[in-house]
Amino acid sequence: MQDYFLEVQGLKKYFQAGRPGLFNRSVEQIHAVDGVDLQLKRGEVVAMVGESGCGKSTLALTLMGLEEPTAGKIAFESKDITHAGEHARKLLRQKIQMIFQDPYESLNPTQTIEEIVAEPLDVHGLTHSKAEREAKVVKALEDAGLKPAASYMYRFPHQLSGGQRQRVVIAGALVLEPLLLIADEPVSMLDVSIRAEILNLLADLRRTRQISIILITHDLGTCGYFADRIAVMYLGRIVEIGPTHEILSNPRHPYTKALLSVVPVPNPRLRKQRFILQGETPNPINLPGGCRFHPRCPVAVVQCKLTDPAYVTVGQAHRAACLLLDSNIS
Amino acid sequence: MALQTTELKPSVPSTPLLDFWKIFRQNRMALVGLGMLIVIVIVAVFAPLIATHDPSVSADVTSADVYQPPSPQSWFGTDDAGKDVFSSFIYGARVSLIVGFFAAFISVILGGVIGIAAGFYGGRTENLLMRFTDIMLVIPDLPLMVVIVALTKPNLLNIIFVIGLLGWTTTARIVRSQTLAVKSRKFVLRARAIGAGNAHIIRHHILPLVMPLLVVNAILVISLAILNESTLSFIGLGDPTAISWGQMLNFAFGRGAMSVGAWWALVTPGFGIVWVVLALTLFGHGLEQVLNPRLETHHLMRARDVIRHEAAGKPLHGGTRQRVPDEAPILIEVNDLSISYINEGKPPARAVENVSFTLRQGELLGLVGESGCGKTTLVLGLLKLLPAAGQIVNGEVWFGGRELTALTEQEMESVRWKGISIVFQGAMNALNPVRTVGEQIEEAIVKHDPDMKEAALDARVDELLDLVGITAKHRDHYPHQYSGGMRQRAMIAMALACNPQVVIADEPTTALDVMIQAQVLELLDSLRKRLGLSIIFVTHDLGVVAEMCDSVLVMYGGVTAEYSDVDTVYNLAQHPYTQELLKAFPDLTHPEKRLASIPGYPPRLDDLPAGCRFAPRCPAVSNRCGGEAPAIHQLSERHFVSCHLVEKPSSPTLPPQGEGSLSPLPKGEGQGEGKG
Repeated sequence: MQDYFLEVQGLKKYFQAGRPGLFNRSVEQIHAVDGVDLQLKRGEVVAMVGESGCGKSTLALTLMGLEEPTAGKIAFESKDITHAGEHARKLLRQKIQMIFQDPYESLNPTQTIEEIVAEPLDVHGLTHSKAEREAKVVKALEDAGLKPAASYMYRFPHQLSGGQRQRVVIAGALVLEPLLLIADEPVSMLDVSIRAEILNLLADLRRTRQISIILITHDLGTCGYFADRIAVMYLGRIVEIGPTHEILSNPRHPYTKALLSVVPVPNPRLRKQRFILQGETPNPINLPGGCRFHPRCPVAVVQCKLTDPAYVTVGQAHRAACLLLDSNIS
Repeated sequence: MALQTTELKPSVPSTPLLDFWKIFRQNRMALVGLGMLIVIVIVAVFAPLIATHDPSVSADVTSADVYQPPSPQSWFGTDDAGKDVFSSFIYGARVSLIVGFFAAFISVILGGVIGIAAGFYGGRTENLLMRFTDIMLVIPDLPLMVVIVALTKPNLLNIIFVIGLLGWTTTARIVRSQTLAVKSRKFVLRARAIGAGNAHIIRHHILPLVMPLLVVNAILVISLAILNESTLSFIGLGDPTAISWGQMLNFAFGRGAMSVGAWWALVTPGFGIVWVVLALTLFGHGLEQVLNPRLETHHLMRARDVIRHEAAGKPLHGGTRQRVPDEAPILIEVNDLSISYINEGKPPARAVENVSFTLRQGELLGLVGESGCGKTTLVLGLLKLLPAAGQIVNGEVWFGGRELTALTEQEMESVRWKGISIVFQGAMNALNPVRTVGEQIEEAIVKHDPDMKEAALDARVDELLDLVGITAKHRDHYPHQYSGGMRQRAMIAMALACNPQVVIADEPTTALDVMIQAQVLELLDSLRKRLGLSIIFVTHDLGVVAEMCDSVLVMYGGVTAEYSDVDTVYNLAQHPYTQELLKAFPDLTHPEKRLASIPGYPPRLDDLPAGCRFAPRCPAVSNRCGGEAPAIHQLSERHFVSCHLVEKPSSPTLPPQGEGSLSPLPKGEGQGEGKG
């Protein structure tokens, strides 16, 4: 068996909807993450793609240990970290870092850029002298593309543009020299012209530092770039996973096909048939029976209401969970 | 070459304190309050130097000295014991301020700790602490104080403690809600993700953001404490050895000052109390305005009348009235529109300069550019909905035979919504959370058509909702029950309420998922076909508009970079900015290709480069670009580019009429002419 860097098995995270009342003890469950399996190799980039409400952000927080998993197992460097204790968790934080979606919200407006980037060092007590601390901050800022670092260090977040702020967030994650980076929609709040910079930066980091990245996004267009594999999530579960070129050129799950068809193409001559799903991701309290995608699926058959599809291997390391792919049924 | 490195200037360490003082200085209310406060503090500190008599020394008092009116010896007269009122007043300031400050100190520390603990830890801790606060809040303070002070010895220390220990409830409540707000912000989550513990988060992330509120609150608590002390003293529970203003009032009131008409004995201490409380209140409110700029009322006020003046800088070209094939009637024609934000003491921000375009019936125009390129200003300008500082400084907007920039506010009312309506970005903020979506659509109709009958109104709301694909059962739901996509649909329904000919959509899909974005785009496209609408679609995303626009206007730094039909812009783009924007786009058909990015950032609109605004970021920049702004060149009937590069005579895209089209059409001399 191959040793994986990160291995997730049957991960579930349920939330309770509301507090139990005095007379109403039964509380509804929100099935945010509902059985996710994922393996990641060192230096690999996996993109988790899905609409809002599919559980991809909860998955990120659960992997980070910011949410306690309801069930399942997470192993990191062959060690079970599912319920790591406080001390072990703090050590893990040095190795697993996260980049948040909104660079306007994820920086404290009262801190200078230097304080923000140095904060992880202070929290973990990693530097022993002022000079060492400053050298590390400068290096992280410049690695994140903020050169020269001196012209940014004493500024406040509001004095920077959105792209620069996201670089600060990335610098704050890099300063701990993590092995795994979880990037939750790192570019969705940025202008298209700035997105390319940030995506290129992440691609470079992965190349030069062998950092593994889990990229979380709703837009297949932005992740095609440097992800090795793409996992498409729907209502808390991965419905299709495979190598990037496979998913982009040969999607097998109807949901993947739909997501791919709505990626905007910047050329009016290539206006294509779009495959727009009606409605939105249903709320994860009452999951539809059978295949959870069937109410929105344009090709659903009667069987889909009854049977929850298992994964079907449809190519090299390419699996999808759709009944129609199972030769016994179609 | 020198242009390429106009990166950030090395920054000076910014001192927040200095910035704070700069804003503070402009707030008259806070300044007056501070001044009054300083005066009284000086008086209290230097009391022995200021006072003419020492009130603790009781000289031989004869009955003739009692309640003497103001005289050169005792400026404010004498009191019941024949003491100098002025001197007692000066020393009274000491007692009042000491009690006020120390009691408030206790209250604020207590309230702050309880508030932060409740807000930060939540759950049972919060429940316990806040119920306790509630109980303390409903117990009437004054009777309780009276009981406690009466039971203990009424000395200064006891009074300070009693007032301090009873005055923390409001502080706790305010601090708790602020802590809750700060706690839910993403940077706190980020701090957790880097491994920070609770103590670190409270110290570095919660406290700095709660502090401004706490300071303002502390000021008001001080004034409350001083009032409480005065009240206690007035009813005879003050420290008899320390004469405060309340005590002076008590003595004067109880010992016949009223009956002998010795008004000075009452007015003087009263004046002191009013002075301090007023000073603290003014200072506190002023401070609040300074620390919380959101309280300032400047945004989205009614636009001022158009003031025509020379547009800052010279116009980039003479005018570009297009001669478009007459397929459909022209609805909107914008000529040389320039809009500046004019703030006193600052250089004007030239947000839009000399932009011209036409919009035909049924046309979908994409208005594209990065954030801060003036797109939103341009469309708000069309409707004259600019914030107060924004002014149309030049140009004209023709719609339905009328020139909109010359219309009065009242006349504009008939254009807005009925002629041109707008869908704003961020649908959640644009909907009223406490009214149902149906009611809000009704309101939009009634505002512009007050005579509509109830039944017709009902039918119209249903029709509008149906038009945007919302089922009737959602009509009576509140905005929070809607998903993001549905809210945006509701906003579109509202924009359609009065059958407008033109709908402006300002980044309607930016915060939405790709799938929902596709749904909204499809809806707009179908509405255009069904209702013959014209749409101006504002976006930063070239990909979004490619699939459905007829024409595209690319803006950069407030000016037109390129304007043409959609095919030309995407396949024959001439402006380097358009080309770079297209390259920055992920292309799923070649996922292995590295993304091109445009280095740098758009210029600040109040600090524009001298020549071409794109020059500092342009890959094809030449010496000329640094000093000379390019004119807008017409390359073909419907292709306009503002770049020096297209001037080459060998340019392959030149129209048959050749060089003639390079020179701008003669128009625009009359930019200074008075209107309205």
